[in-house]
Parts: sequence; C-alpha cells; structure tokens
Amino acid sequence: MSESRVTSLVERKNMQAKWTGERDPWEAFRQVEVITLELTQSYRHSLGKYSRFFLELENGRFLGTRCPTCHKVYAPPRPLCPDCLSITAWQELPGTGTVQTFSVMHFPSLVNDDVRRLETPITLAYVLLDGGSTLFPHVLKTAPESVHIGMRVKVAYAESPVQHPIHLMYFVPLEE
Amino acid sequence: MTDRTPMVIGVGLTPFASNREDCNVRDLAVEAVLDCVRDAGIENLDAVEHGLTSYESDHFNRQMTLGAILHDTLGLNPTPNVRVEGGGATGALALRTAWAYVKSGLCDSILVYGCETNGKSIASQTANQLFALSADVDWEMMVGGTYTAFYAAMMRVHMEKYGTKREQFAHVAVRNRRNAAANPYAQRPMEISIDDVLNSRSIAEPYTLLDCSLLSDGAAALLLATEDWARQRSSRFAERPPVAFTATGCGTDTMRLGDRYPHLTNFAGKRAAAQQAYRSAGITNPLEEIDVAELYDSYSGVEIQAVEDLGFVPEGQGGPAVADGIFDHDGALPVNTSGGLLGRGAPVGATGIAQAIEVVQQLWGEVIPERQIHNARRGLTDTHAGIGTICVVNIFERQD
Ligand SMILES: [Zn+2]
Repeated sequence: MSESRVTSLVERKNMQAKWTGERDPWEAFRQVEVITLELTQSYRHSLGKYSRFFLELENGRFLGTRCPTCHKVYAPPRPLCPDCLSITAWQELPGTGTVQTFSVMHFPSLVNDDVRRLETPITLAYVLLDGGSTLFPHVLKTAPESVHIGMRVKVAYAESPVQHPIHLMYFVPLEE
Repeated sequence: MTDRTPMVIGVGLTPFASNREDCNVRDLAVEAVLDCVRDAGIENLDAVEHGLTSYESDHFNRQMTLGAILHDTLGLNPTPNVRVEGGGATGALALRTAWAYVKSGLCDSILVYGCETNGKSIASQTANQLFALSADVDWEMMVGGTYTAFYAAMMRVHMEKYGTKREQFAHVAVRNRRNAAANPYAQRPMEISIDDVLNSRSIAEPYTLLDCSLLSDGAAALLLATEDWARQRSSRFAERPPVAFTATGCGTDTMRLGDRYPHLTNFAGKRAAAQQAYRSAGITNPLEEIDVAELYDSYSGVEIQAVEDLGFVPEGQGGPAVADGIFDHDGALPVNTSGGLLGRGAPVGATGIAQAIEVVQQLWGEVIPERQIHNARRGLTDTHAGIGTICVVNIFERQD
C-alpha cells in the first residue's frame, strides 16, 4: 500500500495558500493549548413497557408481542404495533429460529462488562424467531467460521448478574 | 409571484482533517463562514436574515446550545437561528430545512453552517461508542453492535442475493480515495489497490478497515437566497452561472435492520427520498439527466446500494456497474469527485453541506482542473443517517 500521496495538514494548508495566493490570516492566533476534560455519569434507565421481556428472561422464557389486529409478531417486542397503531399482547415464543444475516465483529461496542467479557471476534446474528415476523439481533456464541445464512439457532439463557438484562440471553447453534 | 427557489450565493469550507487541534469547533465554523462570505461577494453578514446551525453531536463538543454560541460568534444576533440534527443526514437535512424557509417566504436569505470535531477529540473506540448511541441502545448497542456490523450485515445479504463481490465494493474504496488526491481540502487521499482493501484488517466482516470512512474535524457553510436578494446584495452573483437548489426529497426507514425483514439489501428510505426529489425536479432517467453526484459512502458497499436506490441502475446491478467504472471520474456519471466520506472525510454536521458544495462548485466550474467535470449542469447529493434511517436527496441545477 502506498501512502506517498498522503499529505499532511500543514502541507495542504501550504497548497491552499499557494492555490489562493494568500498568507495565513490567523498567523497571530496559532498558539494552541489543549487540555483534557472528564465527564462520567450514571443514568437511571427505565426499560418502561419493554420491562416484562427482560424480567421473563430470568425465568428462561422468551416473549415477543403480537398485534391483535394485523397479527404481526414483534421480537424485539413493540408495545405499539407501528403498522396499525394497536396495543399489542405478550406472546411466548419457543426461542428457536434461523439466521437471516450476520456480521463477525472484531471491534464490538464495549459498552458494558457483559460485552467486555465476550471473546472477540463476536458474531452479531439477525435471527428470525420461529413464530416471529421480525429479526432479533444478538450475539451468536459459536465458531465464527461455522456461521451461515439459514443456520438454525436457539435462545440460551445466562445467569444473573449482568449489567444490562439483554445479556440474560444469547444465541447458540440448535442441534436438531 | 416571483420564483422563490433558493439560489446558491456562496460556499465556504475548511480542509477536513483527523485533528484540527489548532481550532475548537467555533474556530472551524468561523473559518468556513468567512470563506463563504468572501465567496458570496458580500461585505458582511448584515443583510443575512436567518442562521441555521447544523451539527449532530453534543457529546463530542461537550457544549449544548452550540447553535446559539455559533450564531453569536458570527455576529448574527438578533436574527433568528435554528439548529437541525438528523444523525448522518444532518447537513443535508439542514439544507432541506433552509430550502423550505426560503421557499415559504419566512426569509429571503439564510446562512447554513455545519461543523464538528469528530476527529481526535475523543479516542476512536469511545467515538464509535458515541456514534453507536445513535443505534437503538437497548436492543442493538447493548449487545455490542456497531454501525460497521449493521452495514456489513446488509451487505452480506446483498452479496448472497445479487452475487455482489468484495472486489466490487473495494473499487469504491480505491476510487474515492484516488479522487481525493485532486482535492486539496481532503483528509486522506490515497493511491491503493483493490488487494490493499481486501487484505486490510477486518473490522466487521465483510468490511475491512479500508472499506470504512473517516472521523473528521471540519466545517462547511453555504448561503442560500432568493434571486432578488442575490442581485441586490452579491457582487459575484452575476459573474458566475446561476445555480439553484431546485428540489429536495426525504425518506425514512426503521431504526433496526431486523424490522425491515425481508427487505435487507437496500435503503427504502433513500428510494423514497430520490423519487420525491426526481418528481419535483422533473427527472425521469436519473443516470442520463444527472451530471455529477456526491453519494454517502460511509462504507464502500453503501455506494453500491446507493446507485441502485437512487435509480441509476436496477437493484442488484450496483456491484458490476461500479466495477465497470460508470461512476468513475471519466465515467457516465462521476460520483464523489471530492473523495467522498472515504477520502475527503466526514465531520458529520458539515458532511451534507460539503457534499452540496462539491456539486455546486462543479456546476459553477470552479473546482481545480484535475477534478472538474465538464459541462455539468445538474448535480445530486445523497446523505443519510443510521443505516438509511433518515435519507435526504438534494438537487442543484444551473439555470442559464
Ligand atoms: Zn398491527
């Protein structure tokens, strides 16, 4: 790979000056001080009407929501059906499904200890749950090279404590 | 009633860079706006009736109400100001908003300025987490998901369904970085090969490091006004071909990719945005009727999806079309002559405005000769947020 064409900012500023035929109008403002600022905060984050999904994961149950009007089954759940604005109902799903697409992530978002504990690379799989109408994105724990579109998988349940309750579940290959 | 279609009166840019440590975000906005004032052929901003601030992130700047601060810094008080935010689409959505403000008669002139310090102010790992906050946090981000992976998952289906190849999207990564070499304001011009892209470090399969766009510091500004305002106020307006911002379209899609099942390969929101803009501009054959375009190449494969969703080629044929060179500098419809997000860079709030600036300068015939497209009369910008969650298509045309 050749980076010989890569020009530094200073060089480009010179090119710019050459191009426009001007000297630096900010010459007297070129002293720079850079400091480091910190900002950390905790949020009380309500899971709101989605809470029951997470609470039932602790009981080893996987819930979607079903629209009573148009019969779509949402997993992840939606309390409101966006297609017809009906209030949905909880519906348990068997937790088995099929990978529709996936990506093997070498640099996942290290947003919590739950992700930091995982071994990279991490497979992010989009799974159509049996009985569901939408795809559920989650970690598929298996050798990345064995993952393919059409692969059968199932929900596995993890033990508490986790930082985010979405990590009470993950996907594993289904042995049929 | 006189035509209120906004004309582009002037444009201004800073170079895009991975680290403009000599500037804070205000300084960047000032550089771009001064450049714009000079380019517009106006003495100062006294006659400008409205300001519009375009930036995405409060996190990167550690400053809220940045719109008010920039408006003050530029001496625009007491004229009205509004801040527009729409993720990656921010800059294009800002221009679309300004279009409506002028068209409606709310004002005759409006200065749109966008700026961002996405470069080195925050470590890139943290920066990626902050950008991931624009995903659906509880359902996509908390499992470790990244935008690279969401885009990669779309591309995998595109490859499976249409036979699109990594070499085809690598062509975009090579071409746009090469185009950037003819742009002195570009952040990362590179002369690389398709093999370099294929062999670079894997980020989220199938995307490698060189398939990914840049994090940048930078600013862009564009002055829109009615023709009447321009004739009275701008000494340059009559000197250059008149360019109007003729049409704008916007479309949206679900936050999460999985909710689009079974339509995973393409951007439905982009299709909707393009159709709106084309209807409004009277375009029926975009490949023939558009001369130059800046496309949102956040990842190399996204350009392949875009040429399909913008109707340049049928769905599924983007890969071969790109690899054939149709969209290269000497092709039928040159795209990303600026270098795009891959080569020029992407300070989010400035990106959509900078795309418009490249197109407008191509129409004026004012870019440096190596990258000038001859006789370009109509240009398009394509900008989106998320994975095509908010899409904006803006169209600019010479009126002479
Ligand atoms: Zn419904």
